[in-house]
Amino acid sequence: MDLTIGHYVAFSAALFTIGVFGIFVNRKNIIVILMAIELILLSVNINLVAFSVFSGDIAGQVFAMLVLTVAAAEAAVGLAILVVYFRNRGEIAVEGVNVLRG
Amino acid sequence: MQLIAFYILSTVVLLSAFLVIAARNPVHSVLWLISAFFASSGLLVLIGAEFLAMLLVVVYVGAVAVLFLFVVMMLDVDFVELKQGFLNYLPAGALIALALLAEIGVVAAATAAREASGFDPSPGADTNAEALSRVLYTDNLMLFQLAGLILLVAMMGAIVLTLRKRPGVRRQNISEQTNRRREDAVQLKDVRPGQGI
Amino acid sequence: MTLISDLQIAAPEILLSGFALVALLVGAFAGDGSSRFLRAFSTVVLALASLLAFRQVALPPEAAFGGLYQTSEFTSFAKGVVYAIGAGALFMSGGAVRRDGMERYEFPLLMIFASFGAGVMLSAGDLMSLYMGVECLSLSSYVLAAFLRDDLRSSEAGLKYFVLGALASGLLLYGASLVYGFAGSTRFDQIADAPYSIGLVFGLVLMICGLAFKASAAPFHIWTPDVYEGGPSPVVAFFATAPKIAAVVVFANVLFSAFGVMEDQWALIVAVLAAASMLIGAFGALNQNNIKRLLAYSSIGNVGFALIGVAAGETFGTSSILVYMTIYVVATLGLFGGVLAMRRDGKNVELISDLNGLSRMKPALAIALTALVFSVAGIPPLAGFFGKLMVFRAGLQADLLWLVIVGVISSVVSLGYYLRIIWAIWGKEPAAALDPVDFGVGVTVVASTVITFPVLVIWIGGLINATSFAAAG
Repeated sequence: MDLTIGHYVAFSAALFTIGVFGIFVNRKNIIVILMAIELILLSVNINLVAFSVFSGDIAGQVFAMLVLTVAAAEAAVGLAILVVYFRNRGEIAVEGVNVLRG
Repeated sequence: MQLIAFYILSTVVLLSAFLVIAARNPVHSVLWLISAFFASSGLLVLIGAEFLAMLLVVVYVGAVAVLFLFVVMMLDVDFVELKQGFLNYLPAGALIALALLAEIGVVAAATAAREASGFDPSPGADTNAEALSRVLYTDNLMLFQLAGLILLVAMMGAIVLTLRKRPGVRRQNISEQTNRRREDAVQLKDVRPGQGI
Repeated sequence: MTLISDLQIAAPEILLSGFALVALLVGAFAGDGSSRFLRAFSTVVLALASLLAFRQVALPPEAAFGGLYQTSEFTSFAKGVVYAIGAGALFMSGGAVRRDGMERYEFPLLMIFASFGAGVMLSAGDLMSLYMGVECLSLSSYVLAAFLRDDLRSSEAGLKYFVLGALASGLLLYGASLVYGFAGSTRFDQIADAPYSIGLVFGLVLMICGLAFKASAAPFHIWTPDVYEGGPSPVVAFFATAPKIAAVVVFANVLFSAFGVMEDQWALIVAVLAAASMLIGAFGALNQNNIKRLLAYSSIGNVGFALIGVAAGETFGTSSILVYMTIYVVATLGLFGGVLAMRRDGKNVELISDLNGLSRMKPALAIALTALVFSVAGIPPLAGFFGKLMVFRAGLQADLLWLVIVGVISSVVSLGYYLRIIWAIWGKEPAAALDPVDFGVGVTVVASTVITFPVLVIWIGGLINATSFAAAG
C-alpha cells in the first residue's frame, strides 16, 4: 500500500483533536493553551501541504507559509499579552482569570 | 518504506502532542512541542515539501519554541525546582534529542527509497523551493505584503505592550557623541604654580 | 492586469497601509508627543478611505491581484461604513485616551491596522486573503484590548480575547484547509463550482464556527461581555461597531459567494446561530448592571437579528443585512459615546445606576441617549425599527417564520433592559454630577443621533435602494 492523502488527513485530524482537547482539558496554565493553539496550526499546515502535494497545486503550500508567518506573529502577541497579564497579577493560572465574570 | 516512516513519524508527533498538553512542567511541554514540530517536518519531507519542512524547523523550533521557552523561564520558574537544576530536565531532554536524531535517520532512509508515486510537490518547476518562489512574489504578491504587515502589527503590539522606559538609565546618544567638539570637552586653564584652580 | 491598475482597484487599503507605514516612522522618530497629531491625521485618512470605499460601490465589481482581492457592491458598502465608523470611533476617543494614559502613537495606528484588516477580509476573493485580513484585524484587536497595560482588567480582557480568538482562528483555518483540499482551490468562485462532498461540508461548518466567533454570535459569544467590560472604553466603542459589521458581512459574503450552491446545508445552521444569539442577547442582558456588559449582550442579540438576513440567503437577505447593521453600528457608536461621557470626579463610571437622573443633569445627552437606545431596541419612529422590519421581511420571504417569531419574542424581552436604561435616565433621582463631556464625544453622539433620527428615517428608502444591488444584479 502506498502513502496516500488519506493518511495525512487522518493524521492531521488526530493532531487537531489533540490541540482542541488540550485547550479544553488544560486549565492549569495559559502557556500550555498557547502551545495547544500552535499544535492546531501545525495540523492545519500539514493538511494544507498534504492537499497541495497530492493534488499538484502549489497554492496550498503558499497558504501554509502564510499560516506559518501568522502563527509566529500570533505567538509573539500572545506571549506579550501574557507577560503583561503576569506583571499585573503575578500568576498565570486560568482559574485565576476571574476578575471579569463569565 | 515510506509507509513505515509515515507511521513512525506520525506516532511520534501524536505522542509528543499529547505530552505537550499532558506534561506538568511547561518546560517539558515546550520540549515536546519541539519534538512534534521536528517530526512533522519529517512528514513534510516524506512527501517532498522540502522548503516548508525547512521553514517549519527554522520558524517553529528556531523562533516560536525559543520564544515560548523564554517566556516560560521568565514567568513560571519555580526557584526551588531550578536549583535542583539541569539533571531534572536531562532525561526528558536527552530522550527528545535522541528521538529527533532517529527521525532524521528515518526520513533520510525513506527519502532515499522514494519511488515516484502519485504526488507532485513542485508543480511546474524542478525543485520545491523554485515552485514556491515562482508564485510567491508574482501571483501572491498581495499576500506576501500582507504577511509583512501582520508581522509589523505583531511587532508593534509586542513593543507597545511590554517595552518600558525606565527612569535613570543612561543610553548612548550617537549624534551627541559624534557632534562633540574639542571645545565642549576640554577646558584650558592657566594654572599658576602653587595656587591650584 | 498591471500592478498599477491593481493598486487603483485596492485604493482604500493602499491608502490606509501606506499612511500607517509613514505614520509609524513619524511616531517612532517624534515619540509619543506626535500621537495627538497622528490621531487627528488618522481620523482624516480613515474618512478618506471611507469615501474611496463608497466610490467602489458605484464602480462595477472588479478583481485585483489575480483574484485575491475582489470588490463587490455588497462588501464595498460595508467597507465604507467600517472606515467611516472607525474614523468616528477614533475621533471621539481623544479625551478618554488622554486621561486614561493611552496617549501613545501606536494607538491610532493599531486602529488603522484593525480597520485595514477588516477591509481586506471584506474584499477577499480567496481563502488566503480572507485569513490574512481576519488575522490583521484580530492581532490588532488583541493588542488594543490589552492597551491599558497596567490595568489588570484590560490585560485580562486582552488575554481572554487572545486565547479564544486564536482558537477561533484555528477552527476557521482548519475548515479552510479542508475546503481547499476538497474543492481543490482557495478561490471563492472556484470553490463555488466544486462538486459537493462531505469533506467540503465539514470544512464549511468549521469555517462557520470560526466566523461566528469573530462576529460574536452565540454560542461563540463567551468572550464578548468580558472583553467589553475589561477593555478600554474607546477601544470597545470601536470593537462594538466597525469590526462587528465587517464580521457579519464577511460571514454573509463567504457563504453567499463561495458556498452559495450549498445553501441548504448552511441555512439551518445560520438560522440556529441567529436564534441562539437573539435569545442569549435578550436574556443575558436582563440582570446586568454594568452598562458595557449590557451593551455586549445587546450586540450579541443584534448580531443574531442580522444573521436572520444571512439565513434568508443571498436573494432576500443582502440588503437587509447592510441596512440593519449600518443603522445598528451608527446608533451603537453614539451609545458608546454616552459610555465615554460617563465620568465622575475624573474616573470612569459604568454602572446603569450612574446614569440616574441624567435628564436633569445633562438634558441634551439624555435625549440623545434615549433616542439611540430606542433605535437599537427597534421602537417605531426611529431608524432601528426599519432595520428590524427589513430583516424580518427577509426572514418571511425565505420561509423562516419560526426564526422571525423568535426574533419578535427576543425583541420584546430585550425591551425590558432597554427600558431600565431609560428609566434610570428619566425616572431616578440624580446622583452626583458627571464631568463635562468632551468635544469629540459630544459631536459624535450628536452626529450619530441625528443620523439615527431623522436622517436615516427620511432617507430609509434611499438606503434600501442603495443597498439592493444583489436583487438588481
